[in-house]
Amino acid sequence: MSRSEYRSTVLQSLKTMLIAGKYGLERWSYVLQRISGVVVALYFIAHVLETGNFIGGITVWSVPDYSFAEKAYEETVKLLKNPLFDVGLAVVGFLVTFHTINGIRLILAHFGFFLGKPRRPEPFEPPVSFSTRQRALFWLSISLAVFALLYALDSLMRVFRT
Amino acid sequence: MAASVKFRVYRYRPEDGGKGFYREYEVPVKKGMTILDGLLYIKESLDPTLSIRYSCRMAICGSCGMRVNGIETLACHTQISELRRRVITVEPMKNFPVIKDLVTDMAVLFKKQRALLTWLIRRDLVEQENPTHQYIQSDEELERYLQFTYCIQCGLCYSACPVVSTFPDFYGPQPLMKMYRYFADSRDEGGKERIDLVDKFEGVWRCHFAGSCSMVCPKGVDPALAIQLLRRASLRG
Amino acid sequence: MRERNLMLLHYITGLGILLFGAIHVWTLFFTYPLQETIWETTLRFDSLPYAVLPVYRNILFAASLFGLLLCTTIHAMNGIRAVIAELIGARIRWVEAVLVAVGVFLVVYGTRTILIANNLLV
Repeated sequence: MSRSEYRSTVLQSLKTMLIAGKYGLERWSYVLQRISGVVVALYFIAHVLETGNFIGGITVWSVPDYSFAEKAYEETVKLLKNPLFDVGLAVVGFLVTFHTINGIRLILAHFGFFLGKPRRPEPFEPPVSFSTRQRALFWLSISLAVFALLYALDSLMRVFRT
Repeated sequence: MAASVKFRVYRYRPEDGGKGFYREYEVPVKKGMTILDGLLYIKESLDPTLSIRYSCRMAICGSCGMRVNGIETLACHTQISELRRRVITVEPMKNFPVIKDLVTDMAVLFKKQRALLTWLIRRDLVEQENPTHQYIQSDEELERYLQFTYCIQCGLCYSACPVVSTFPDFYGPQPLMKMYRYFADSRDEGGKERIDLVDKFEGVWRCHFAGSCSMVCPKGVDPALAIQLLRRASLRG
Repeated sequence: MRERNLMLLHYITGLGILLFGAIHVWTLFFTYPLQETIWETTLRFDSLPYAVLPVYRNILFAASLFGLLLCTTIHAMNGIRAVIAELIGARIRWVEAVLVAVGVFLVVYGTRTILIANNLLV
């Protein structure tokens, strides 16, 4: 496979992963679960590095006079002063809440709960696995995530005002 | 309702190679006309080079699967009026190589289906050939898999699956669903063997319950449910 | 490792994150002296060392943080492995090896941070 072909394949995959199209609610849950998972994982890596920098963990990379560690600490503090990071934290709150509740829904679905039993297909009826309970959990995850986002933004606004 | 609609049909000629292109046709609409009727009108009166595959015209054979306005349906099962669109985009199914225009090569689907032992497995071959008594199933045992026998192997779920299009090694919704149909059958004796077969990285674990397969199925089969139940069996060992 | 056990691990670590993460957030919110302003204080990145460090002097809390670190690393690396495999359409050995290495690094580095923050490492 040539390089350009390979790139177009990956772009195609990204498009499939990120655009739910007309495939309904469960497809949206797939897209959101994927995005939230990747973003939260990146946040987690950044969080480990950043707390390490604050605490002097960066010294593992530094020679004993630790001027590099101090510089890294100063730079981390300066970098994170940006209010964009604060808004980003609120978004991470949204994504974490969604990923948690939707993850529980997915675990339940993977163990076969909340899906309903196989039955004879009836015309004009939705599939059994699109059950009300399972979809209710999805909407619960969305609403809790929105609540978390609003709560965080509200606190943020109070911080910015003071 | 409009007296005519515009068909944007995907055209691909293998002898030209490269990418396909879209060609537009103006098709007069009568009441009750399906997408397949529209395509046949194009083939008869406007452009005889258009290739489509169809057979029964009544959603039984599963030959005319294609993507209409971005979602997979059987062309014979979708009326033009129910789309409520002036422009109708018709494309071949995804995740299959295109042979010509709207005709796709579905060999990969049947190959995967065969690899997943989609038949009844009996241990006692002598008994299988010369049965000594009836193997009666109760209604409950029948209901456990009956839904999944309605599959017509049109490949729409395979085309709609987001995982298959990003990870082609995934077994796909239809083969796994077919496997579950035999796994849930009370006469089948392949339990452990079947579970070992799907308990792979490419197997049931790549399903993320996106539900697109169940969404597009024209026969009301629920491949997503079948895969979750297969996964439950796999998780329980 | 069988794929089945890996997925079970994925579920278990996911529930573990729910438990330890709840402890993590809860401690930050409600054990800090200035309860009214803790959310505002922790939400600001630049105030983090002053807000968080006083809470950290507890061995059980350190253990729960380590659990959170371990669970999140396993869960995240397993998830990213699946996402990458599905993005490029194939499993690649060295990508998985890199992910294991990143996971080990995160656990080691994070453990170091936890130990220093708890004054367990002098």
